[in-house]
Amino acid sequence: MKARTVRLWSVVHTWTSLISTVFLLLLCLTGLPLIFHHEIDELLGYAPQPEAHGGAARATTQAVADAALAADPGRVLQYISWDKDEPGIVTAFTNSAVDGLPDNTTVRAFDAVSTKLLGPVGIGPMLIMLKLHTDMFAGQPGKLFLGGMGLLFAIAIVSGVVLYWPFTRRLRFAIIRDHASCRVRWLDWHNLIGVVTVAWALVVGLTGVVNTWAELMLNQWKATELASMVAPYAGKPPPSHLASLDDVVARAKLTAPGMEVAFIAFPGTPFTSSHHFAAFMRGDTALTARLLKPVLLDGETGEVADSRALPVYLQALLISQPLHFGDYGGMPLKVIWAALDLLTIVVIGSGLYLWLVRRRKRALGRTDAFARRAPVPS
Amino acid sequence: MHGSSDRSRLWIRVFAAPIVIAAATMAGLLAALLWGTVGQYVAWVTVGAPVLVVAWVWVRCRTTKTGQFSRAARGK
Repeated sequence: MKARTVRLWSVVHTWTSLISTVFLLLLCLTGLPLIFHHEIDELLGYAPQPEAHGGAARATTQAVADAALAADPGRVLQYISWDKDEPGIVTAFTNSAVDGLPDNTTVRAFDAVSTKLLGPVGIGPMLIMLKLHTDMFAGQPGKLFLGGMGLLFAIAIVSGVVLYWPFTRRLRFAIIRDHASCRVRWLDWHNLIGVVTVAWALVVGLTGVVNTWAELMLNQWKATELASMVAPYAGKPPPSHLASLDDVVARAKLTAPGMEVAFIAFPGTPFTSSHHFAAFMRGDTALTARLLKPVLLDGETGEVADSRALPVYLQALLISQPLHFGDYGGMPLKVIWAALDLLTIVVIGSGLYLWLVRRRKRALGRTDAFARRAPVPS
Repeated sequence: MHGSSDRSRLWIRVFAAPIVIAAATMAGLLAALLWGTVGQYVAWVTVGAPVLVVAWVWVRCRTTKTGQFSRAARGK
């Protein structure tokens, strides 16, 4: 590689890293507790616990909906969801209007058997961490900004791999020059940790970027696929009364055999049209549990209107989520995720240190050159 | 000819280990998603490989330092 090419890649690596450093540190630091958010919520008492019922039958969906509305009088239901890892809990989302602002949504957990209110969901310190991690309390612009920082991170990684060759070609793999200066030692650690974590960092970085586009993708789906699914119902007003949710669930299951309902979106919410329920169905394997299939049902009669697989970009979004969160391989994978997160912090920190040292060295060099050029007093 | 084959040998020497680790990481990330419980076990080993490499290098550096210190102390 020519010296000029190395310099060019070095400039790309330096500046893409420097511009994104503060935000990447924020993402790594807030991401660390978020890996264990479930455990932390449980420890701090923010995780609702279902009652023990033995093998008792689960309450009907309509009964859960009634309980949710009774717990939040004067408001409307937006979504009801079932977490496959928490079979004893049903979560209900209420808001002042079906298309109300996300920040006004109240999320509550109900016992899946008795429909007893178990408490609010998604509150406490982990909510602050989540908001800092996803949009820095700046809404959609904050999300897109962090997505941009994620792209810079990806460029920094690629340029780092290119620079790995000229910096390490005379060394054996995983050599740390312990007898050299502190700067050289940290350069070796920076190169080693950076290159061994490259695949993980790229996957987590890029899936994070994809996640920041979630709302844009959802809007695209609504404008194209969903619009064509509800086209035969164009001009129909919002339902004057809602169909029984038990009917909605039963018909959705008949339409997607072998699948379970992941969540139901009520008519008028961002996930469906103003006239339809959308039941998002999931499979039972690790992969199919992530790939949701929407079934649209008439809001008044509960009849199935249409059902289509999600487009590739939304499927990519759904698959990218576990790859970003690291929550799909049990506790050992979470611990590994946390260790890799810490290693990324070391790479970012050491990169910053190396830049500062080089800057200081150059400044000293310039001062020396100036001193040499200055006339000697007689 | 000679120079080119030397360069490719050098290239392999520099990038072989990182490529193997990256491939293992990718395989593990997908295995847990596609193969259920067995995939999870695969992921623990392969996604954890970079952590193990860093831990191994760190321990090696520490033991080398300690060894040199002990040898120096014995020499005195």
